[in-house]
Amino acid sequence: MFFFILTNNNSNKMFFLFILFFSTLISISSNSWFGCWIGLEINLLSFIPLISNSKNLLSVETSLKYFLTQSLASINFLFMILIKFSLLKNFNMNNIISIMMNSSLLMKMGSAPFHFWFPNIVEGLSWMNNFMLMTWQKISPMILLSYYFNKNFLIFMIIMNLIIGSLGGLNQTSLRKLLAFSSINNLGWMIFSIMISENLWLFYFLIYSMMIFMMISLFFLMNMYFMNQLFINNMNFFIKLNLLINFLSLGGLPPFMGFMPKWIIINFLLINKFYFLTFIFMMTSLIIIYYYIRIIYSSFMFNYFKMKWVNLLMKNNMSLINLSSFISISSMILSTFIFM
Amino acid sequence: MCFNSFFFLFFFMLINYFFFVYFIMNGLSVFFEWEIISFNSMSIVMSILLDWMSLLFMMFVSLISSVVIFYSKSYMNSELNLNRFIILVLMFVFSMVLLIISPNLISILLGWDGLGLISYCLVIYYQNLKSYNAGMLTALSNRIGDVMILMVICWVMNYGSWNYIFYFDFMKNDYVMFIISFMIIIAAMTKSAQIPFSSWLPAAMAAPTPVSALVHSSTLVTAGVYLLIRFNYLLIDMFFFKVLLFLSILTMFMSGISANYEFDLKKIIALSTLSQLGLMMSILSLGFPDIAFFHLLTHAMFKALLFMCAGVIIHMMNDIQDIRYMGGLSLYIPLTSLCLNISNLSLCGIPFLSGFYSKDLILEMVSFNSFNLMVFILFYLSTGLTVFYTFRLIMYVMINDFNLMMIYNLYDEDYIMLNSMFVLLFMSLLSGSFLSWFIFSYPYMIYLPFNLKLMVIYVSILGSILGFMVSNMGIYSLNKLLLSYNLSSFLCLMWFMPNLSTYGLSYIYLNFSQILFKNIDMGWSEIYSGKGIFNILKNYSVFYNIYQMNNFKIYLFSFILWFMILFIFFFI
Repeated sequence: MFFFILTNNNSNKMFFLFILFFSTLISISSNSWFGCWIGLEINLLSFIPLISNSKNLLSVETSLKYFLTQSLASINFLFMILIKFSLLKNFNMNNIISIMMNSSLLMKMGSAPFHFWFPNIVEGLSWMNNFMLMTWQKISPMILLSYYFNKNFLIFMIIMNLIIGSLGGLNQTSLRKLLAFSSINNLGWMIFSIMISENLWLFYFLIYSMMIFMMISLFFLMNMYFMNQLFINNMNFFIKLNLLINFLSLGGLPPFMGFMPKWIIINFLLINKFYFLTFIFMMTSLIIIYYYIRIIYSSFMFNYFKMKWVNLLMKNNMSLINLSSFISISSMILSTFIFM
Repeated sequence: MCFNSFFFLFFFMLINYFFFVYFIMNGLSVFFEWEIISFNSMSIVMSILLDWMSLLFMMFVSLISSVVIFYSKSYMNSELNLNRFIILVLMFVFSMVLLIISPNLISILLGWDGLGLISYCLVIYYQNLKSYNAGMLTALSNRIGDVMILMVICWVMNYGSWNYIFYFDFMKNDYVMFIISFMIIIAAMTKSAQIPFSSWLPAAMAAPTPVSALVHSSTLVTAGVYLLIRFNYLLIDMFFFKVLLFLSILTMFMSGISANYEFDLKKIIALSTLSQLGLMMSILSLGFPDIAFFHLLTHAMFKALLFMCAGVIIHMMNDIQDIRYMGGLSLYIPLTSLCLNISNLSLCGIPFLSGFYSKDLILEMVSFNSFNLMVFILFYLSTGLTVFYTFRLIMYVMINDFNLMMIYNLYDEDYIMLNSMFVLLFMSLLSGSFLSWFIFSYPYMIYLPFNLKLMVIYVSILGSILGFMVSNMGIYSLNKLLLSYNLSSFLCLMWFMPNLSTYGLSYIYLNFSQILFKNIDMGWSEIYSGKGIFNILKNYSVFYNIYQMNNFKIYLFSFILWFMILFIFFFI
């Protein structure tokens, strides 16, 4: 992100990035609900300049849509905080006000059923802004969710997230929308992990954001936004391999890194006897892997399509790709050495 | 490669010969034992038993295999991968030796399974459809025997080790031994192709002729007989032996009849092997294991010789195995026809050739001891049938007119093949007397009336006359009419028993599996798991897209709607 901003001669955005980071920290470390709301507002305000670019009509429209939904959610959040203060004197979690507060936070995050803006906006942003949207912007609503949630409501939300994330992505050809739906699906996993413990959520979130970073940086370097751009150029074998590994890792296939957080969450699911929920987690995960593999399998058949007049020069950036492949493959095994 | 293995095996044969003579003169028996692991009360040992029987059998096996390898240097010289063939034959010999020297069921299993597997590889050596079918039939029939021996291994674990020879005297009346004996008999029956399992032996003639000479005449098919000879103390007064007697006598009789209807040279020899195997099994089940062993060895000699002569003839006939194309060969190939005649006459039991000693002894023992009438009749009848088909074969191949082509070249001077046949010729002349002097330290006491003693000669002469007459039949003869078609096909096709193993087994299952495959694999499981689920999901996804592609204000409105729905829903 820094790299991108630095190369585009746009050091104004560095300022807003700094405020963005700070706003999340304000939001999660305050001891009053007002502080949380303030952090969310500053988050919104500092993200808008990051994504708006007055030369491009699409990005203006995108930033406007983002502003509208997020401000609606913030208003709702503030209002529910005030109702909670005035009506409920004691602290018990699973009541009606928590539903409203959780809904507004879910709308902030882009979780179902309030997710309709998410694929739209993702389609209008560049890759690095997408990365910010998919990873950093989820931190503060998640943590605020963990402070005051309604268990039954959240389980319903999880199921909706999973199903919409898997079914919605089946029919997409734009890579950004694909990752958006995948992000919605992973939100389901993350909301469940928040309900168990914040540490577990942090583990899942870190690995997820690392995987997303690897993929988005690959797409950014190759400037690919659509599925048909994937294999029409003359890609190196290692780039294809890296793409394969990253997609499979994101889908949660065992020897790769992305399997570990899902495994641990399934473990917690089974300990707490959420058997039917486990089934839904599994099945939707299968659908997601299906459409990942559908993208990349043709690259590894013996006779693949290769156009030789579009040359992809990646000489300077191979180290990043090699490093990310290595991390994705070997993390699970290396982690056993670290954590014993 | 051929010469190396020939010399090695010949040298091995000589070593075995000298050890055999030493052991049998001094009555020695050596037992080596390495204990591999002793676990909980079960000890796994690797043991080797060298007594005169195993040394003698090893000598004969190595002699035949060395001669066969030398023969196949010339027989298979147009084969590109001759080394592969020789290696397979050597592995076969190794498995056979392992089977012979082991008093331990695990090493018997290793040898037994090795024999079955390598004989499969050798039968399918010419890779055409007929060989594949034959190989499958061979391997699966032998597999039944392997399974039986595996089960015997499980049951013998009751006794603490797998060395069965220690338990015979003490445990004879035990229930476990009862089951073990049943399974051992079935295993031996599959390997030696007795009646329910007899369909593989004529089919296995799709193998190359050296393979038939080694495997299907002397070693593989006698492994079952050898196993029963080793287990003889256990089995000797059990009920199953009487069942075995019945089945082996019927095998002997049936294959003798079927060989009279056959026109394929190698199949006639295969059926004659089957008949002699029935003879060995039946004399074994009557309680004379040493005579059975004697006949096993002499039969190995002349049958291997017979197969090798058949190989030479087939080569000369432009690879045609049908005897109706052959004839008058005794005029043109004197040396080969010498070997053929001597081995055929030895098979019939003509006096003082090698087959005479064993066959005549068997028949006299049968007459001397009082068995029932059916045993007696079938023994003598089968002996007569043996002479019958032998003489028919000699008439077709040697004496009648040559039927192949106008211009021909019958090449007899292939001295590699001839020298190998001469070794076996020498042995097939002398091995009868040689073995009878060694094995029987005192002769059997047999006292028979005059006509009963000559009964063998009577049936032989009758058989030869019939053989002569049958081969002179023309187009209008009685056995070529359609009237006798039912009886002829019953007798020719081995009493329809191969259908039990081939068509009868495969038809039902293949038919059923076609129904299953069409209806389930390509039918319902596609609706419920393959394409069906994909279509459902795709339709859901398309349906979802209707909601996704909307105006922005619709989204905002939907948020409000969702708020109210969730509020009301969870409030109640």
